[in-house]
Amino acid sequence: MTSTTVRARRPRHTATTRHNWIGAAFAVPALALFGAFAIYPMARVFYISFFDYDLTSAPRFVGWHNYRYLFGSETFQASLTATAFYVVFTYAPAVVLALVLAAGLDTRLPGSGFIRLLYFAPVAMSWVAVSIIWRLILQPDGLLNAVFGTHVNWLTSDSSAKWALVVVSIWKETGLFVILFLAGLQRIPDELREAAALDGAGRVATFRYVILPLLRPVTAVVCVMAIIRGCQSFSAQVVLTGGSFNTEVINLYVYKTAFESARMGRASAVAVLLFFGLLMVTMLQLRLFRSRER
Amino acid sequence: MKHTRWIGAVVSATLALATSTACSSSSGGGAGGKVHLTFWTHTHPPMIALNKALIKEYETKHPNVSIDYQQIPNTDFNTKMLASLSNGSGPDIINMDDVALRGDYIPKNLLAPLDYKAMGLSSQQAIEDKYIDGTLDGAEGPDGTLYGLPTEFNATAFAINTEQFRKAGLDPDQPPATWDDVAADGKKLVAAGQGGFNFLYLSAGQYTQQLQILLNETGGSIVDKAGTKATIDNAQGIAALSIWNKLINVDKVGNAHTASRDATAPFADFEAGKTAMTIMYPWGVGQIKQDNPAMYKNLKVVPLPQVDPANPSGRWYGYYEAVNKASKQQAEAWKFIQYSASQSQRWLTDVNFIQPLKGWAQSPAASSVPFLSVWEQAYSRGRFDEIGHHWNEVQDAVKTAIEDTVLNGKPVADSLKQAASTINEALPD
Repeated sequence: MTSTTVRARRPRHTATTRHNWIGAAFAVPALALFGAFAIYPMARVFYISFFDYDLTSAPRFVGWHNYRYLFGSETFQASLTATAFYVVFTYAPAVVLALVLAAGLDTRLPGSGFIRLLYFAPVAMSWVAVSIIWRLILQPDGLLNAVFGTHVNWLTSDSSAKWALVVVSIWKETGLFVILFLAGLQRIPDELREAAALDGAGRVATFRYVILPLLRPVTAVVCVMAIIRGCQSFSAQVVLTGGSFNTEVINLYVYKTAFESARMGRASAVAVLLFFGLLMVTMLQLRLFRSRER
Repeated sequence: MKHTRWIGAVVSATLALATSTACSSSSGGGAGGKVHLTFWTHTHPPMIALNKALIKEYETKHPNVSIDYQQIPNTDFNTKMLASLSNGSGPDIINMDDVALRGDYIPKNLLAPLDYKAMGLSSQQAIEDKYIDGTLDGAEGPDGTLYGLPTEFNATAFAINTEQFRKAGLDPDQPPATWDDVAADGKKLVAAGQGGFNFLYLSAGQYTQQLQILLNETGGSIVDKAGTKATIDNAQGIAALSIWNKLINVDKVGNAHTASRDATAPFADFEAGKTAMTIMYPWGVGQIKQDNPAMYKNLKVVPLPQVDPANPSGRWYGYYEAVNKASKQQAEAWKFIQYSASQSQRWLTDVNFIQPLKGWAQSPAASSVPFLSVWEQAYSRGRFDEIGHHWNEVQDAVKTAIEDTVLNGKPVADSLKQAASTINEALPD
């Protein structure tokens, strides 16, 4: 009986193995491209971070020097501060605002689709185009000052340039999170809302105790995306301020270090630190959301 | 199987050939063979027109030579050039300013020494003898080797709008001689509803150039002569930035916040009448003439205001045509540069670019240069900047210091102290 079973299984096992190999063979081109254009460059960045490399001379091994330099550099620390400010003051309000808007737009009233489209429009526009439009709006004699009767130098002072970037970015980014939250809201069955209503819960209580907990997986994704997008910001700073007035975020610092100063090793070290920083923050966030789920 | 091997061999050979062709920046050419050169410059419309004309003439005279001419926006030029040189795709002929040449390109060994033999000359000295002493220093290595010839050599002067001066009750024939005069005239102009004076708030390089002008007058410098230590925060440095700050924030002759920040049109505010006084370079006159002929009629170039008119100073900077060390046809590239440099009269008449050849001011074409006597005087007072390695980072630090003080009200000494700290961080490890 046993030998019969073994004999019966062998061909199936061989067939599965063959299928696996064929499947793997089909995946090889994609894996090779991924390896060549994603894994290798990343590994190369790690490697270069231990060298002094100016693009035109042979790299010179310097060990941990680039990392030691960064920890003592005021310019690097200023760019970290600028990034933290931008991420916190742009994405925290943007996520909250997106949640409120999504809750308001989660309706099947006529025209709601068009209104959703309007919120999503800035997301579809390029950062450069958005920044150029806002640069005109934020001029001293631009639309914003004219509408509010103010005389703020939005793009040319330490006190306001970072807030100008926050305003622009909230306008640009909120729509993306609205769509994500809307998708999450529409997956919540109506029965749950009806049950809550039957139990006497008002709209606020339903949202607080029923909807919000069920949106937790989407909220986790939105928060992770928000931090990653914030740390990757670049174009708005380049177009609006060029990194002046305490707006030189980490990606702009990397660009200037790598391509204007031709210090590829140092720029790679920043990229490595950014990678591990984002990895840690993302893991922490996901763990936080999971522990709440439990 | 045999067929497969053949196909494999043909494919490999084709790929190898394609790769070798793609990797070389330009195809090699022997005697009588085809020569293809690539040539990159920054953007400046009058210069581009003349370069195109010179290339066309050169190609007609040398049918075996073709030149691919590319223009790259000023703000991206250095970044794109360095990136292209690093992967072997850089141009054969490079048009580059002296700061980049001395700060990066010559120390990094990216350029080919001037090939006087290809130019039919007996020595480098034969070329140096043609130029005004010191004017080739902008493309000279520490050992005296020359790496380029100037197509554009700039001194610094000042420009006023005569119409606005008259409207404000000022005499255009009595232009400001000192920065205090600029303040006094600026106040009168502003009070009369005319434009005052402003600096240019464009790239970090332009911020630095303008502070350097003031530093030359106060006796200061950004770094020491060896280029290893910041000196920008000394008394002379503080005096220089204080002039800038006083004009804008105390005398209020211009508004730094509302100044144009379009790097492709540096004189936009002056042309639009938002300012009636500006720092001026020879190329700027040509640009204003082309952009705004109506305003050009009211343009007058006058000597640069001085801190101490009894001891005047000025600033030089130049663009040089040089050859990529990785070029496979350096001799051909130098021959074209020689042809371009030999057209000094047309550079003067067509573009207002002055090439510092001995006796240029007495040449027939010089008579067509507007405000010749002012420029002649400006050239006699100038000198190149003292620079160091990683000058981009130094320029960024200078820009931040100026913005901190002029746009954000930070005390001059504090801004410059911070700049010195950043510069020292950037200078060689």
